[in-house]
Amino acid sequence: MLLKIAHRNIWRNKKRSLIIIIAIIIGLWAGIFIMAFYNGMIEQRINAAISSELSHIQIHHPEFRKEFEIKYVLPEGREKLNTIKNDPNVKAATARIIIKGMIASASGSSGITVNGIIPEQEETLTQLKSKIINGVYFNLIKTNEIIISEKLRKKLKLNLNKKAILTFQDKEGNLASAAFRISGIYKTINGPYDEANVFVKITDIDSLAGIPNAINEIAILLQSNNLLEETQQKYLKKMPETEIKNWMEISPELGLTVSVGDQMVYVFMGIILLALAFGIINTMMMSVLERTREIGMLLALGMNKFKIFLMILLETTFLILVGCPVGILLAFATIIITHQTGINFSQFSEVYSSFGYSSIIYPSLTWNQFGNIVVLIVITGLFSGLFPARRALKLNPAESLKK
Amino acid sequence: MKETVIDAHDLSKIYDEKTIPVYALNKVHLHISRGEFTAIKGPSGSGKTTLLNMIGGLDNPSEGFVEINGTNITKLKGNELIDFRLNNIGFVFQSYNLIPVLTAKENIEFIMLLQNRPSKERELRVQELLKQIGLEDKINKKPKELSGGQQQRVAVARALASKPQFILADEPTANLDSVSAEKLLDIMLKLNQEENMTFVFSTHDQRVINRARRIITLEDGKIVADTSPTQIEHEII
Repeated sequence: MLLKIAHRNIWRNKKRSLIIIIAIIIGLWAGIFIMAFYNGMIEQRINAAISSELSHIQIHHPEFRKEFEIKYVLPEGREKLNTIKNDPNVKAATARIIIKGMIASASGSSGITVNGIIPEQEETLTQLKSKIINGVYFNLIKTNEIIISEKLRKKLKLNLNKKAILTFQDKEGNLASAAFRISGIYKTINGPYDEANVFVKITDIDSLAGIPNAINEIAILLQSNNLLEETQQKYLKKMPETEIKNWMEISPELGLTVSVGDQMVYVFMGIILLALAFGIINTMMMSVLERTREIGMLLALGMNKFKIFLMILLETTFLILVGCPVGILLAFATIIITHQTGINFSQFSEVYSSFGYSSIIYPSLTWNQFGNIVVLIVITGLFSGLFPARRALKLNPAESLKK
Repeated sequence: MKETVIDAHDLSKIYDEKTIPVYALNKVHLHISRGEFTAIKGPSGSGKTTLLNMIGGLDNPSEGFVEINGTNITKLKGNELIDFRLNNIGFVFQSYNLIPVLTAKENIEFIMLLQNRPSKERELRVQELLKQIGLEDKINKKPKELSGGQQQRVAVARALASKPQFILADEPTANLDSVSAEKLLDIMLKLNQEENMTFVFSTHDQRVINRARRIITLEDGKIVADTSPTQIEHEII
């Protein structure tokens, strides 16, 4: 009987019930979609950072990352690389020489990181080749080739096949410089990264830097992010003389972005839930106040307070039960579609790029996050129903019947 | 000697006790026996509804107490009092107060459902009452599909459904036309005679007063007369 009364009561004022159901639908849809949007954005940023910039794990000489002095090479670096490549957890690994230096053209100069790479290995790790927008990835026969970013090209007014001068300190601290011909121009989604990184073949730079056949860095891409901790611990035990850092330790600001992003999503959700809660409280409170006389009559007839409380709570529950599935389905549909097509913000690509984000966002959501939102919304809905239900309990039958 | 159903002792209801006290009821004594058909009359503000609310356990007296079948209901609180009302008192209100989302049948059944009566018993009682009030053909109509008179008949059936100790009716004919009012009174009198059901009304309506067997007159919160129509006729003669 309570179910019947509660169910019929919500359709007594169709307009009002529909408004709150629509509010629940929009709240749920917006909440889930915003979470998926942020999740997708952060996931893309992390994936891009791992696959293009940082890799999962980097190994260095313990002193190297303090001042980036190239004299701190990895002891037995190439042997270590070979061992790592045979690890089943490892998808790809490469060796690099990392030099902080300067690039100069006739038009200007800029501080940069020179990445001395093994082209065929780098390709499996960072897919640098696929980011070439002009020119070619290194020619194995030619020497002293350099790949610079589009951003740097514009800044230094350089072009393909033009020469740029790289200047840096060698192992002994003496200034070394050499001319490199631009063979390719690359572009990633991360503007600041592009502006600060150039790529040359390791064989062209190791002798110049005074560290022939040596390496400063091993970058490792794992089969899955889930293997990160296990693999890092394994290498820490195996190579205690080296510094082994994961991507979050190498780039703490990225780790911070993830946690801030997560918090932002919950702040957004909080605002949406608050609006939803006020909507439900307002509607149900109106409904209770309008029915003061009726509730008084029910109390007079002998309907106990628990049943009155339950009746109001059931009404709120029905509103949520109607709104929730629709909102969830709508959010799902939107996420599925936009996950395929992406949401294009290319008109703001400069802004997104300057923060290292892609201007095409592919929303995505884990089941865990989805479950959290649904539980949060249901709890908010039921919690909101408590206030009007409590209000109904305070009614005095004799007073209420006069209304 | 007739069994006493309602026993009100020294009932007073005082508003603004701390400033200038206003007596809505002033030391009212009242005994009503089983099977009585009693009308409480009096001008507006005389305390009729207040008295009914006290007897029905809807309001607490400032002084005095009410016993229903020997139970002091003034001492009952919260759900205990609500349960007492559910099992012992039937209410009929001036403006019908049916549950708008339920049909006539469901409204009559409502109190029995609250009492967890078995469905077969409920079904039989609803059929019996619908027949008594002459609304068998309106069984599935909702209140808004019924006339005022029909709604009030359903309200009477609802009040009677659980076979309470007595029925309290606050101005039951006030919103009805004369034909509906007479029909309602006929039904209530019939139920009073056939089921020995005790009725207590508050009313202004001379038609109700004329049909009542006992008339209690209230003025300024006090009982100024308590008599039967026959006695009134005798006094006039």
